[in-house]
Amino acid sequence: MTNRPAKVRRRPSGPARPSLVALPILLMIVAGCDGPQSALSGAGREATDVSRLFWVMLVGGAAVWIVVMGTAIFAVLQPPRGARVGNAFIIGGGVVFPVVVLAALLAYGLSMLPDWAQSGTRLKVHVTGEQWWWRVAYELPDGTLVRDANEIHLPAGEPVEFVLTADEVIHSFWIPAIGGKMDMIPGRTNRLVLTAEKPGTYRGVCAEYCGTSHALMAFSAIVHERDAFDAWLAGQAKPAVVADSVGARRGRDQFIAAGCGGCHMMRGVVELGDVGPDLTHVGSRRTLGSGILPNDRETLEAWVRNPDHLKPDVAMPGYAMLPDADIAAIATFLEGAK
Amino acid sequence: MSTDKGQVERATGEGTDLWRLITAPTIWAVHFLVCYVGAAIYCEKAGRASALLPVTWFVAATTAVALLGLGLVFLSLWRVRGFSVVGGDLNYLGNTPEERHRFLSHVSMMLCVLSAIGVVFVAMPAFMLGTCR
Ligand code: HEC
Ligand SMILES: [Cu+2]
Repeated sequence: MTNRPAKVRRRPSGPARPSLVALPILLMIVAGCDGPQSALSGAGREATDVSRLFWVMLVGGAAVWIVVMGTAIFAVLQPPRGARVGNAFIIGGGVVFPVVVLAALLAYGLSMLPDWAQSGTRLKVHVTGEQWWWRVAYELPDGTLVRDANEIHLPAGEPVEFVLTADEVIHSFWIPAIGGKMDMIPGRTNRLVLTAEKPGTYRGVCAEYCGTSHALMAFSAIVHERDAFDAWLAGQAKPAVVADSVGARRGRDQFIAAGCGGCHMMRGVVELGDVGPDLTHVGSRRTLGSGILPNDRETLEAWVRNPDHLKPDVAMPGYAMLPDADIAAIATFLEGAK
Repeated sequence: MSTDKGQVERATGEGTDLWRLITAPTIWAVHFLVCYVGAAIYCEKAGRASALLPVTWFVAATTAVALLGLGLVFLSLWRVRGFSVVGGDLNYLGNTPEERHRFLSHVSMMLCVLSAIGVVFVAMPAFMLGTCR
């Protein structure tokens, strides 16, 4: 017997029509263009501008491509007509048309550059990029700061000024659905004015590589109607709530005893350190670990036990050595800190 | 003899032309630096909120000088072009000083056009922005 294949039959390999495969793939990609982190969903004035700019650029670029390629193909297919006609095509289609279109696009893009005049009345939100979380403070008209972390709340329909900087390395602040992005640079203050338009919950990210857990550095941006925003901010300005239960009070004592306060500010409970995110109202956050995990009991406990497991190289030690009951109590306490 | 009699007759010049080749892009680069460095220094001294009008005039003047320079280079090359690609007698295979001269002159001339477009694009923001912000 020979071990050579007797007959090589041609199997129809792969799907017959590429278009049939391309369509669902295209639909999947296009479906990804919507959602809480899409720059094309237009939930903010600046994002709407950017997406309009994107479409204008796309059309302009396509026009240049079509005319240049069209001229080239036309030239190949036509019989020679002499240098004069040829030059007219090369200069017209290859030089003049692209230059005019690009100049128009440049002018259009430049005309969209915002001219951010300082304004004393605008809500100011200070955001500092840390490895790998966000330090946030809302500046009230009287100059007092209401501190928070890892979440941004905005009133709808009003320009808000973000005052951006960073602690050790460069980060970039971006809420694609609302606008941005803007780099956060240590020792420098960058300003970004955004106007959120539609109430809702959006997703922001760090858009500049900043170390191991850069990809795990996100946040929720919650846009409220003005009244709801004021109510939220007033609540945020208050000290931490300790739920009225034995477990929560025990958790508070454990939180203090374990030394969490050496890094975490918890207004009204411990006000010592300021290395990590403010936890005063951590129970009311939508996410944990700066936008990457659901804020529920199980995750809270897992985070306190071993945060490095959830976020590599995190600057918080694990507390797996604490008895389970203590960790559970701390979780109860933090969950209640709305 | 590497050049025959015909070559000598249609001679348009000689030399390596490398200086002429980089003149136009150099003007573009210098214009870019002068505009941006000038604007940066002005805005640093005057403050973020100040009007950009002096910069606009400065950039306009720099641009005029740059375009004038590019125009002069262009004119000097245009004469060669009269004999070059459109002359109908270009010897595409000729590896001769004359052919190199024509080819490089033609390239330099196109670089002039490109540089002029670049200079205009560089100058545009100065005319469209109102303040240092
Ligand atoms: C050495 C300083 C340090 C100590 C001590 C510390 N943490 Fe942290 N903690 C951090 C840092 C830094 C982060 C932010 C990590 C990140 O997201 O990159 C953090 C994040 C957290 C978060 C998530 C916050 C959010 O908004 O998502 C919780 C909850 C938390 N810590 C609880 C605790 C508890 C409970 C203890 C004590 C048992 C503790 N931490 C001790 C530094 C510390
Ligand atoms: Cu980052």
